[in-house]
Amino acid sequence: MSGADHLFHDAYTSARLWRIWTFLGLQDIKTRFRRSFIGPLWILLNLGVFVGSAGLVYGAILGQPIDAFLPYLMTGFVIWAYLLSSLTEASSTFIVAEGYIKQFSYPKEIYLLRALVSSTSVLLIGFLAIILMQIALGRFFALGWLLALPGIVLLMTVVLGHITISAYLGTRFRDWPHAMAGLMQMLFFVTPIMFPAKMLNERNLEFIYLFNPLYYVIDIVRHPIIGEGIAPLSHYFAAAAYALLVWSAAFIVVRRLDHRVVFLL
Amino acid sequence: MSKLAINLDGVGVRFSGSNSSNGLKDWAIDRVGGRLRRSRNYKIDALRGVSLQIHSGERVGLIGLNGAGKSTLLKVMAKIYPPTTGRALIRGHVCPMFEFATGFEMNQTGWDNIRIRALLLGMSPAEIEGKLAEIADFTELGEFLDYPVRTYSAGMFIRLAFAVSTSINPEILLIDEVMGAGDIKFADKAKRRMFEFMEQGKILVFASHSPTLLQSMCTRTIWLDRGAVRMDGPTADVLASYTHVNAQPSPTEQCA
Repeated sequence: MSGADHLFHDAYTSARLWRIWTFLGLQDIKTRFRRSFIGPLWILLNLGVFVGSAGLVYGAILGQPIDAFLPYLMTGFVIWAYLLSSLTEASSTFIVAEGYIKQFSYPKEIYLLRALVSSTSVLLIGFLAIILMQIALGRFFALGWLLALPGIVLLMTVVLGHITISAYLGTRFRDWPHAMAGLMQMLFFVTPIMFPAKMLNERNLEFIYLFNPLYYVIDIVRHPIIGEGIAPLSHYFAAAAYALLVWSAAFIVVRRLDHRVVFLL
Repeated sequence: MSKLAINLDGVGVRFSGSNSSNGLKDWAIDRVGGRLRRSRNYKIDALRGVSLQIHSGERVGLIGLNGAGKSTLLKVMAKIYPPTTGRALIRGHVCPMFEFATGFEMNQTGWDNIRIRALLLGMSPAEIEGKLAEIADFTELGEFLDYPVRTYSAGMFIRLAFAVSTSINPEILLIDEVMGAGDIKFADKAKRRMFEFMEQGKILVFASHSPTLLQSMCTRTIWLDRGAVRMDGPTADVLASYTHVNAQPSPTEQCA
């Protein structure tokens, strides 16, 4: 039995079932805010509160001009939340779909794509918040958003790889989300999100972010969005290399666990 | 379109796992000193060496005591359980009717759940909208369809799932003992609809404990005993042997 062939067949079948996973993914968003008074506005509100408070404090401590620092902070944070959910929340992808998995024989990939749809929807709402803030501060660059598109595609590729690894390993090892939450909490403070990367350069502390793949993945999207033009080419290469690594790991995980998932639920 | 068929060749399904939490700690201990703790793991052969062919047009019954492997075999045929040994080749669109009480989105309305289930059963959105009224009508849930399904009773879940599942055009229909659904009025209505539905399936595999039902629905019956095929033939013959063997009261076996 050729595992790779099987995988390609599953991927093809999943793509054809796009209706199912987009529907389920969008339903997840609806469910999340059902019966809440302001619904998805909570995402905007929470972001605003976080960025407003953290931005003022860190902006002052780090001596950053506030109108440039706020969009930087918000963009970094929105992308971070997207990456975070792909490593923590995504670990329950199969667990919450148990009822479906044990009843229908669809390829497991459709549940991964469902998770991608719902987390990407949250990302898009975050982008909307960034645009609103940029307009309010008079720092909106339409061209910047256009230049961010290749970075966004690469970011989504990385996130889908993360979701795949998390979903399978999270089903096999229920400790996974806790371990990832801890790791990501640590990484949040060493990745340039709350502070600009150049501040580390000035203190000869570049190594803190130079070997952090998530920095590059964030930067290729953030750099153009905040109006600094296309990110350095080397950052795209670093992000692409990381994406390749994540996908290779995902491939191994899927080959080893795909046929066992239903027994592990 | 290729011909519909179910082809099983020496299929075995083994459930293995550990009695404990199945966490990272156990995995690590297993890797490091597996020999010391082997006893905590279990292995159950739910199916062993099952070989059989079912062709287009056949109506097959499955009989056997609880735990004989009927549900596992149906799940292999539905491509939900991959065989641990042997090969399973299934050609055709499978319509599984196993668990009516799971696979709901608890916080969504009855209407949403009808749509989700229909989509998962392979209906197109246009088809779903066309059949929505008829499905809703059959459930007799009325205004309850506007409420989230977490407010539903067990019987209401079954009504909803049953109405959706039986509204599609099945090729290979796999049914796991679902007749005891709902209250008396609904059960009666369900039975009629079920019979109509079963007539539509080009292949039917039906697990049941009821000799009468098997006799009326199936021409061929397979008797499963502890995960293996004990007998496979015309329904009347198999049922005769089955009742003969299991008629002797045994203190450990449950009454079917």
